[in-house]
Amino acid sequence: MTPQGRILGIGPTDNTSDQRTPRQRLRLIPEQARSSFVPVVPARFITRSHEWDMTRTAPDRPRAAGVPIEVTGTVRTQSGRPLANALLEIWSANHYGRYRHVEDHSGLKLDENHLGLGRVLTDEDGRYKFWAISPGAYLARPDIGRWRPKHIHMSISGGSSRLITQMYFPDEPNNAADPMAILMGGAFERNIGKPRDVAGADVDEAFDFDIVMGGRNATFFE
Amino acid sequence: MSDAASNLLAPTNEDTCGPYFPIYFADPALEDLTRVDPGLVGQAAGTPIILRGRVLDRHGELANGAILEFWQANAKGLYRTPETEGHPDIDPWFHGYGRLRSASGAYEFKTILPGATDGRAPHITITIFSDGISRIVTQMFFSDHAGNDADPVLQSVGDDAPKLIARHDGRTASGAEVYVFDIIMAGAGETPFFDDLES
Ligand SMILES: [Fe+2]
Repeated sequence: MTPQGRILGIGPTDNTSDQRTPRQRLRLIPEQARSSFVPVVPARFITRSHEWDMTRTAPDRPRAAGVPIEVTGTVRTQSGRPLANALLEIWSANHYGRYRHVEDHSGLKLDENHLGLGRVLTDEDGRYKFWAISPGAYLARPDIGRWRPKHIHMSISGGSSRLITQMYFPDEPNNAADPMAILMGGAFERNIGKPRDVAGADVDEAFDFDIVMGGRNATFFE
Repeated sequence: MSDAASNLLAPTNEDTCGPYFPIYFADPALEDLTRVDPGLVGQAAGTPIILRGRVLDRHGELANGAILEFWQANAKGLYRTPETEGHPDIDPWFHGYGRLRSASGAYEFKTILPGATDGRAPHITITIFSDGISRIVTQMFFSDHAGNDADPVLQSVGDDAPKLIARHDGRTASGAEVYVFDIIMAGAGETPFFDDLES
């Protein structure tokens, strides 16, 4: 079978997806140029030491409103190699579904104890850990009553691996109608955090979320 | 690629970055690759350039909140990767990876003109993240380069090649060559995008 580039899907009920998704079939990269399409991100140790705890704005500040959670996991390539020193950039809405971002004009409630921003690095074994407030769902399409389910955004970069994704939560009523979840189909379950015991941590809920960096780029220099 | 038929782990799905990628994560060192830091001695070799343009949706409107990531070779045409570690043509003050978030959809990236090498015309790979999409990838070239005609990527897109070539737009008073490159995400005049999963 002759390989072909993909045609990207358009998220149902997602106006922005309709506006921005390329309509042409993606082009195949000529073999001679393939390696030029493999960005290598230099290690960036720009996290601040308290940023792993997103349940407060600083270590001496009170907890934000809502349910504090712990998220842990391992970042690996598809061949199973742990990705050490990868940078995770994390952002999420507060308990009320509001981002502390100048472009979030939803009018939902802000929380003076919540930034919703964090950066952590994976350790030598590819492990990461952070605390966050379990984010609120928010109404993405008021005209048709379509919500964005609870989710935490994560951007992972390290070496030739690059991924922007979202962690969703199990058994959420809004998961099924989410445009991106619909595009993922049966693979959506990979993007759902797995509940586990909090194991003594100062949080109310805990989730495992192992991340696998897909594609040939991630493994190019293995 | 069939994961079921191999021992590969199933990849985590790419997902949209949504509209609220934190401006807080901006890193000035990744928006200007011509120098390491304004307070340090150390500057990339080569011709400084300013690459600017717009990211447009299929209605011709600016795609606000877009994140652009750049990847390029140094002035001698060498990419900085694990394979080229220790190569004499490595520029210690140039790593080749840039990133910016554009609030409006218009962007400006400061860097140096990448060199030609290995049968490739000078080029920069651009990865775009935004609300409504997960990740799309293209590669841009520079007008008036003799090597463009023989470049395999430009040849591979046939009549669409002009859509991947930035227009030269003069030189700034401080000596940077200006190139203009618009990215049309969808619809009429759509920029060719490349598939790095299936290729
Ligand atoms: Fe979001």
